[in-house]
Amino acid sequence: MKFIRQAFFAISLGSMVAVVLRRRTKVVVAPQQGGWREVTPQR
Amino acid sequence: MNNPSAPQIGIVGTGVTSSRAASVLHTLGHMPRVEKLGSASSLFDCDVVILAHGAPHDALASAFVAQGVAVVSTSDNLADVLALIDGQDRAVARGVPVVAGAACLPGLSGLLVAHVSRAFESIDEVHNAVHGTGGPMCAVQHHDSLAGTSIGWHDGEWLQRPAGSGRELCWFPDPIGARDCYRFASPEPVLLQRAQPGLQRITSRVSATRRDRLTSRLPMLRKPHAEGLDGGLRVEVRGRRDGRRHVEIVGVADRVATVAGTVAAHTALALSRGIVIPGVHNLGEATMPNADILDGVTSSGITLHQFIGR
Repeated sequence: MKFIRQAFFAISLGSMVAVVLRRRTKVVVAPQQGGWREVTPQR
Repeated sequence: MNNPSAPQIGIVGTGVTSSRAASVLHTLGHMPRVEKLGSASSLFDCDVVILAHGAPHDALASAFVAQGVAVVSTSDNLADVLALIDGQDRAVARGVPVVAGAACLPGLSGLLVAHVSRAFESIDEVHNAVHGTGGPMCAVQHHDSLAGTSIGWHDGEWLQRPAGSGRELCWFPDPIGARDCYRFASPEPVLLQRAQPGLQRITSRVSATRRDRLTSRLPMLRKPHAEGLDGGLRVEVRGRRDGRRHVEIVGVADRVATVAGTVAAHTALALSRGIVIPGVHNLGEATMPNADILDGVTSSGITLHQFIGR
């Protein structure tokens, strides 16, 4: 019984840490548009 | 018929890179003399010679320098390029220019960094990647380079990492698209650091499959293809523009042998005009006519691409 309580406690603690980290992390948006285009070198 | 006043350009090697370089020179009205490695000494009377055979190039380059012949080396072997650079004193003493790494990566990559850097106030990072191989010797070099030690320039220090590590998904111009790329034993960071001493970080990667990485430490399991299919080069430059961080990404999508041959041919033409001072150089250095060579490369049919993202 004690082991199950410790396991639940560890899972809960891990989840809370994950939530905090996820909320504090800035969302980096990868380029959604664009692509390669041909260019001519300009002097 | 040869014009007696035209510079005599020789090419050592009879593979695909050699034939592409010869084709470019023919198109521009020159008559290069192409010889096998075994009969390279018959080119001692040339003004400029392109070494387009498999590595090593160092010993033959020294022989040409001793004869007063300017040398363009297409070698992308790390040890070979370092040995070529060590020939600086010999080249200066003999009064001839030598260009090391005049191919695709290194080669066109240096030209593109020099070109793109004009869009910045200052640049501090360059991350390059190449996909594909030229002829069979290039394929062997690709195989070997995944088993060696990769070097990178990181905050003013040379870092050594196992080749084949550091997977990164790199996007090349269409139709190549995204490829997994890995560190490899490339002379590119050394040459770029010579060309742009202000850089803080330089990395160089090559595309490879799982089989390439798994078998890199074994002998090649089968004979390499006569020529790799489509290849590509990607050059990512980071720095400051208008007081803010800025990134520019340029690249090409073409056969690697075509790119390497074209770059070598136009580098040889630049040397034949006598505008490069004696010594060992690489493309992208301030001592090289980078803009002229890049103009020549694009006018010979290599199309540049820029990545525009939002």
